Amino acid sequence: MTRLVLLCVLLAPAGAGQVYDLLLKNGNVIDPANHRSGRMDVAVAGNKIARVAPDLPAAHARIVIDSSQYYVTPGLVDIHTHFNWLGGGLNLLPDYNALPNGVTTAVDAGGSDWKNFEAFKSTVIDHAKTRVLAFLNVDSDLDATARTVQKHRDTIVGLQTVSRDAMGRAVKAAELSGTIVMVDLHGKSEGEYSALIRRMRPGDIYTHTYGRPIPPWASEARKRGVLFDVGHGAGGFWFRIAAPAIRQGFLPDTISTDIDKESVMLPRATMTNVMSKLLNIGMDLDQVVERSTLGPARAIHRPDLGTLAEGAIADIAVLELQKGTFGFLDSGRGRLIGDRRLRCVLTVRNGAIAWDSEGLSAPDWMKAGPYSNFK
Amino acid sequence: MLGWWLPLVLLGAALLPAQQYDLVLRGGHVLDPGSGLDAVMDVAVAGGRIAAMEPRIAASEARKAVDVSGLYVVPGLVDLHAHVFGYPGALFPDDTALIAGTTTVVDAGGSGWRTFDQMRQRIVKPSKTRVLALINIVGSGMAGETAESNTADMEPEKTAEAIKRNRDVIVGIKTAHFGGQGWTAIDRAVAAGRLSGVPVMVDDKIFTNTGRTTREKVLDHLRPGDLHTHMYNDRQVELVDRFTGKVQPYMLEARRRGVLFDLGHGAGSFLWPVASRAMSQGFMPDTISTDLHAASILVQQSDMPNCMSKLMLLGMSLPEAVLRATASPAKAIARYPEIGTLCVGRTADIAVLEMQDGAFAFKDAWGAKRLGTKRLECTLTIREGKLVYDRDGRGFPPWIAAGEYEVIP
Repeated sequence: MTRLVLLCVLLAPAGAGQVYDLLLKNGNVIDPANHRSGRMDVAVAGNKIARVAPDLPAAHARIVIDSSQYYVTPGLVDIHTHFNWLGGGLNLLPDYNALPNGVTTAVDAGGSDWKNFEAFKSTVIDHAKTRVLAFLNVDSDLDATARTVQKHRDTIVGLQTVSRDAMGRAVKAAELSGTIVMVDLHGKSEGEYSALIRRMRPGDIYTHTYGRPIPPWASEARKRGVLFDVGHGAGGFWFRIAAPAIRQGFLPDTISTDIDKESVMLPRATMTNVMSKLLNIGMDLDQVVERSTLGPARAIHRPDLGTLAEGAIADIAVLELQKGTFGFLDSGRGRLIGDRRLRCVLTVRNGAIAWDSEGLSAPDWMKAGPYSNFK
Repeated sequence: MLGWWLPLVLLGAALLPAQQYDLVLRGGHVLDPGSGLDAVMDVAVAGGRIAAMEPRIAASEARKAVDVSGLYVVPGLVDLHAHVFGYPGALFPDDTALIAGTTTVVDAGGSGWRTFDQMRQRIVKPSKTRVLALINIVGSGMAGETAESNTADMEPEKTAEAIKRNRDVIVGIKTAHFGGQGWTAIDRAVAAGRLSGVPVMVDDKIFTNTGRTTREKVLDHLRPGDLHTHMYNDRQVELVDRFTGKVQPYMLEARRRGVLFDLGHGAGSFLWPVASRAMSQGFMPDTISTDLHAASILVQQSDMPNCMSKLMLLGMSLPEAVLRATASPAKAIARYPEIGTLCVGRTADIAVLEMQDGAFAFKDAWGAKRLGTKRLECTLTIREGKLVYDRDGRGFPPWIAAGEYEVIP
């Protein structure tokens, strides 16, 4: 009899006795990848999303967080960052600049090339809590570049180029390795710019979209499948360009920060802040969330990211939409007064709580065990 | 011979409003405990220095006028215990300090005399934040447990020589994480301090049997002016007696003798039961510091305003908290009044803080929270006269009225 019971327990379907490690209760879920929008619970078991549904049993969870005041979204995906601090310069540390802003996946934009990528990976990427991916910078050795891309397919998502000369090489290396190119034309003249943008292929990403007036043929490039990325930075986002463009319907495909030592200060180009700026110049919350999760995940061909699909790695952002009067600066330090601000209150990365500014998961000190001698 | 144009220039000068200041902060509540100032005042900055402090300074007198009414204007915060080099969890100074109103960080022992030059090149020089250093008595700095317990690399003379060569940056000595038996690390740090005339900050192991007691440490080995850091770190072994709940008499005696007690919050050194018991007996930190590193910034968010908010939750007044985060740490490293005050003529390092009302959770080293209703947050930071952080964009015009602006100064 005992044996029979034991056998039954062993054979029971995994779902029946499911215990959740974390349950985000009753949040406003926005999960564009799975067409979810509305009040429901998000349950995490181990490092995976276990269930997303209304009214999951709280008694089955180790940590339950009342999320009713917040929006629950997939962990944000920022495809334009500068986190290869080995290179010094303007680079930042990933974890402190990503996780508190809900970013669970950050793509370093061109901070490494085939020669130093391994060092970047072993020193920065492998030790970060944040998932750090990379656009590899293109140099003259196209074969070595393509080989490096192929060797590190799960980390290198594309190539980056900032110069006119490298543009042809970048496209060639991308073709060799079957990947995409992010093109940063900051500071280029109008002539160069129009020639270069025509060479971009469908799926290639044009960053700093609102860093210069958007020419009429940008819409044509978009029709061809060229993607337009925000890349805010210290020189890539002006309200005087972005506000009219968005009003006229030229929305970014992907929202990204171009965060570095400069842009993180006065323009405060953190992910939630960049999203807030767009929210206050005409985009709605669903659009902003979609283009910070599903949009960038698709752009870098990583459908496993930017989603709350059951079975996916549990990367989650819990966002507060504050109402009030808030000021924001752009790259040119023009000031925008807005009435909404997004702030990240909790970040789950790989199933673990990596940020919790409101102490939502923390026990009250009077109830905390190790203090027993002091009661 | 005078040119024909001279009268025109003079006329122009007379007609144009003279903008003698680079920047003026208007309408804020100035709190500068070092100089005893606690009043609504306008503060003007010129050439990187505090140029004037008056009840009213016209906006037209400055190139940039910033309305900070409803906010507190305090000296740039001085974090006496930070990690920006050498330590595995070290952070870059600018993006963690300046956004928190901290304009001076003191790296606590990341470098030793062998590695200080690297730190100067890589961190001190390129940072906007003023970076000072307590150098480690270990020549190789915070290079891990083994290196930090290697007494052969603790050389008072070499350490003192490095200090004398680098007085502009090195303000003291640190000894930390010494795993060996006895007093070698602490005594050599103090010896180096005697040779160079600077204080020593001590972070001692308290959960390992090292043959050292805190009582002997603070009474027999530290000098007046030396710093005992991580003061609220223990459960019941160091600061607060486990049976009586009282602050240990030898700690009170050490304080009477002039040993300084530093907060050094970090990820292991601020526990609600210890801090609240000590605070309720009036045993406050002399200096408020963060021990900020990769783990504590993410878990406890224990930057300077967070540490100050926690102490205020335990009964410290705002002026007391500002004092212990500005003038007191500056004095502890003999840099007052060069830093830590808003006196006219001093370097214009300024933090503008907002006192928020609401429900806030503050987490201690073990991740336990205590709820409070007030929180300090930095909204704007000026470093050497320059606006470096501006949460709300107060210092800049509306984009809609700025025309075809490129970068507004």
